[in-house]
Amino acid sequence: MEAPQSHQVTALLRAWSAGDAEALEKLTPLVYRELHRAARRYMVGERSGHTLQATALINEVYTRLLDVRNIDWQNRAHFLAVCAQLMRQILTDFARSRHYQKRGGGAHHLPLNEALVVSSQPDRNLVELDEALKRLALFDERRSRVVELRFFGGLDVNETAEVLKVSSQTVMRDWRLARIWLLRELSGDEQRES
Amino acid sequence: MNPERWHRVEELYNAALELAVDERMRFLKDACRDDPALYHELESLLSYEERDEQFINRPAFEVVAELMADENAGPLEPDKRVGKTISHFRVLERLGQGGMGIVFRAEDIHLGRQVALKFLPEETTDSQALQRLQREARAASSLNHPNICAIHEIGEHEGEFFIAMELLEGQSLDRRIGGHPLPLEECLTIGIQVTEALQVAHQKGIIHRDIKPANIFVTSLGQAKILDFGLAKRTSAVTVGGEELEHGSGDRPSTSTMPGETVPLPIPDLLLSRTGVAMGTAGYMSPEQVRGEKLDARTDLFSFGLVLYEMATGHRAFEGDTGPELHSAILTQAPVPARQLNPKLPAKLGQIISKALEKNRDARYQTVSDMHTDLEILKHETERRNPLRRWMLAFALIFSLLIVSASLWFAKRQPSFTQTLPDIKFRQLTLNSPENPVRSGAISPDGKYLAYVDKLGMHIKDIQTGSIQDVVQPRDMNKESFDWEITSLAWFPDDARFLANAYPARGPFEEWFSRAADIWVFSRTDQAPRKLREHAIAWSVSPDGALIAFGTNSNRLGERETWLMDSEGKQARKLFETDENSFVGGFFWSPDGQRGLSIKTDASGDTVQSRDLHGGPPVTVLTPAERKQIQGEFTWLPDGRLIYQVHDSGSEPAVPSSSQDNCNFWTLRLDGHTGKPLEKPKRLTNWTGFCNSENANATADGKRLAFLRRAVAWTVYVADVEAGGTRMRNMRRLTLDESTDLPRDWTNDSKQVVFISDRTGQFAFYKQSLDEDVPGRISTGTGSFLATLGTAVSPDGKWLLSNSGDWPGDRKDPKLMRIPIAGGSPELLTTTVWGSAISCARSPSSLCVLGEKTEDRKRMIFTSIDVLKGRGPELARFDLDPGIEYLNFDISPDGTRLAVSGTPKGPIHILTLHDHSEQVIPAKFNNLVGDFHWAANGKGLYIPDQTKRGTELSYLDLRGNTHVLWVNPSRWAISARPSPDGRHLAIQSSSVPSNIWMMENF
Repeated sequence: MEAPQSHQVTALLRAWSAGDAEALEKLTPLVYRELHRAARRYMVGERSGHTLQATALINEVYTRLLDVRNIDWQNRAHFLAVCAQLMRQILTDFARSRHYQKRGGGAHHLPLNEALVVSSQPDRNLVELDEALKRLALFDERRSRVVELRFFGGLDVNETAEVLKVSSQTVMRDWRLARIWLLRELSGDEQRES
Repeated sequence: MNPERWHRVEELYNAALELAVDERMRFLKDACRDDPALYHELESLLSYEERDEQFINRPAFEVVAELMADENAGPLEPDKRVGKTISHFRVLERLGQGGMGIVFRAEDIHLGRQVALKFLPEETTDSQALQRLQREARAASSLNHPNICAIHEIGEHEGEFFIAMELLEGQSLDRRIGGHPLPLEECLTIGIQVTEALQVAHQKGIIHRDIKPANIFVTSLGQAKILDFGLAKRTSAVTVGGEELEHGSGDRPSTSTMPGETVPLPIPDLLLSRTGVAMGTAGYMSPEQVRGEKLDARTDLFSFGLVLYEMATGHRAFEGDTGPELHSAILTQAPVPARQLNPKLPAKLGQIISKALEKNRDARYQTVSDMHTDLEILKHETERRNPLRRWMLAFALIFSLLIVSASLWFAKRQPSFTQTLPDIKFRQLTLNSPENPVRSGAISPDGKYLAYVDKLGMHIKDIQTGSIQDVVQPRDMNKESFDWEITSLAWFPDDARFLANAYPARGPFEEWFSRAADIWVFSRTDQAPRKLREHAIAWSVSPDGALIAFGTNSNRLGERETWLMDSEGKQARKLFETDENSFVGGFFWSPDGQRGLSIKTDASGDTVQSRDLHGGPPVTVLTPAERKQIQGEFTWLPDGRLIYQVHDSGSEPAVPSSSQDNCNFWTLRLDGHTGKPLEKPKRLTNWTGFCNSENANATADGKRLAFLRRAVAWTVYVADVEAGGTRMRNMRRLTLDESTDLPRDWTNDSKQVVFISDRTGQFAFYKQSLDEDVPGRISTGTGSFLATLGTAVSPDGKWLLSNSGDWPGDRKDPKLMRIPIAGGSPELLTTTVWGSAISCARSPSSLCVLGEKTEDRKRMIFTSIDVLKGRGPELARFDLDPGIEYLNFDISPDGTRLAVSGTPKGPIHILTLHDHSEQVIPAKFNNLVGDFHWAANGKGLYIPDQTKRGTELSYLDLRGNTHVLWVNPSRWAISARPSPDGRHLAIQSSSVPSNIWMMENF
């Protein structure tokens, strides 16, 4: 079974946002394929190199995923927002299926029936992060979207501002508090106000 | 946290950050004088400022890639046991590893069967782990049941203790669930199997105590297996030195009911109890287990109730961190009712789950056989209710109608294939609805039959008569747990047999590889399907039918080896393999069957290579750069041409346009003996708007090519309205093509729908009568369709008012244009701001309203527009929440009232223009996903709202009563606009059909 190719992706993304669950099934292997590629590069030792800078990597992924010339989205902002949602869903599902929520930096092997190593890097705990983000959205929808766009969608501050139609300063401010709030949620060592 | 309080936190937090570090606390103390809790919250948040600067500062994609790299880095470490013979087992490979031990695939030399060998991790020598392993072995080895993983042998080798177990292929239930509910049939099948196995265990006095999805394995054949009786304890006498052991977490050994079954444990059980409650798995413990009480068999029922809940809903009943939080949830909270998360569940299943999850074990199912019986009864009931048969019948009835409409569709489609070669003919072979897409298929060599797979299963269609026959599935295989794939060259030359690959349903990407796949041979005639080979995926059958090419031995990227075997699955031999960092796909035979093409993928991309069958060197046919734009598969025609599809993108403008994908067939002539290209590739067709096809294969004479085509279609539907707008009937397609068609308004006489369409490759306005099949064009290209969101026909019916502008070019200054409905050039009416929209009343009113957001996005200003003079006076203002990027409004047909909503959840405000009074319709929504529009009589609105069922189109009267007219299972973007006479609705909806087509005479 082959993953769809880049020029199919626009149509699949559109189908996905129109509610076609099969489109997600078709898109997922494509993101996986890119994950494999990136993971392979880590494995051959590029992980510490400057070639894998954050935004460069995600841009490369989008470029690979999409034939940009064929986008007929409502506008770029809408398109980027859909991409971020897609990434959030696929990456969280993936992490969940691999038990990444339970394991973090330390464990290297497929768990047999158990895995109880608590993550040392909280952002490796994608499943809990996703959950925390849902909680944040309950009282601060915009901040949760800022995190979705920046962390899951890999957008920079200006792109995030474009999508949300707010100023870059607002994004920065939102980001700062949201990040701290999430870090506390995931650290779980403080009393929380409810 | 409520939003108001959070707002306060936010204000003070930002203010504190403005100050020097040492002044912050004093400032906060001062500001929170009356609210110590607020102070504590801020202090706590601020304490995280300096921590972990890396946290979410790089994209999640990268985080996951790194996790994956870490995971894959593990198994590369060699293990000294691989390749060795331990006792009478030859160790083949390491399968996995965890805290509990390390597991290898091994071969039993005596019996010739493969087994799983479980060892303790090398570094572990502690007696506790050893003891657990022994307990597991003993407990499970006394259980012999098809739904319990069998223990073959317990042994010791050079001081290492091992267990030889049944080797299982498949996946654990938690991976199988993966956050999504399982199909009901599978949920019940697994439930029945597990409860049956538990009955056997409980009868023998063994309770599992750690039932959870990770401990239940679902084999490739859909069979459930309980793993890991490592915690199992006998409820019958377990005594050491005549002394009963009593532990905090343990169950009290009772008087032996079955003395013969008693196996005294060699080591006192105290070590086990030291780990206390953690011996279960936090999320799946029973309340009595959490409390550390004595356990009996009913603990397994509670835990399995949680598993059933998770299978049925895709969610864990009790989520959260391990530890106190989770424990208190198990003790005190009722989980969200399963049917609330998955409304499709039968009520009975909800009851079974609730009964198993009773916190008081006396209120629970008392024995597992009671639960088993309830699941069995439910399964019988649901099978009887299965509507499949009736559906198939209905399908057959409408079949003939569909053929007619499909040929009409084709007739209309033809003009957009510009310069099609004169005699190429197309035919749609399957007529599946968008709800049941065709997934794969292949045409028989004689061109008479099509074998294909869709959601309902595997079918064979007689192309001449149109009759469809269901292919009998292998017995003992759970239909839900398999996805079938019929590859393009699946048929044997006898036109009777064909191959299909079985993959675990919805498995993760890796399981699409040969590792988890099996090759089966099916027959069009009555023969039962047979499995030809495991851990392999079929690629193709040779033209003479003597050989099958298949891929096997996947690495973590894909298949590494291509093999050949005879048609009976025998005499398999390896043809070639690739290195660790690449993988191969497909084997497309040359007409004489002496060579084949395969695609090798590595870091540089895909290389298409041809090879002979004798291990000769590969010949590159297409380089990665050439392959890049090729879509789908290759067919090597009898005349020596290779045919494939190429996606055009190079020639298009750099600015994003609204044009559709263009795919065309190309051919490349190859030398049949050397496999080398003889000429440059040639373009065969010159189409636009036809793409997304895959899975192509030709008949033996090379005259017909079948391929799978999948496309997204947005369609304009019309329906008749009854009962004052509260009922709708006779919904039918207005636009018949498969491009993007979105309705915008009606002509004044209520006879034609005005819509935009990208049928020519660019969005333009069209109008089409209800009784015609073809639209007339109003304007030339208008660019992006967002720009046309607020489009309206002027009250006098002569003009179309629309924002013009393409993204991103005109983003700064969109223009409001008027376009003559009779056709003609757009004229500028006024400039406006991005995201503005227009709505017009109907005659005799002459009012049009332009809605524009102020720069601070806090307000909407509505201005009257005269279709001849442009801007008029301001009519009304409406306050918005600048954080919510949403606005929806419509002017009433008589021009007196505006319906406005500033959030997707409503409410809808009715602003009366002459006295500025405001009324709120008391109705809340989940998500208003498309435009709402006034009914023609001004007494209500047509609204699209997202619900669990999909998107609902409703009629909402001004008192807040709703009447659901139609439910579309998709998630968004429907809307309905009534005709001026109120008799019809023009409805916007989307679908994704996927069908097999055939091309002839190419």
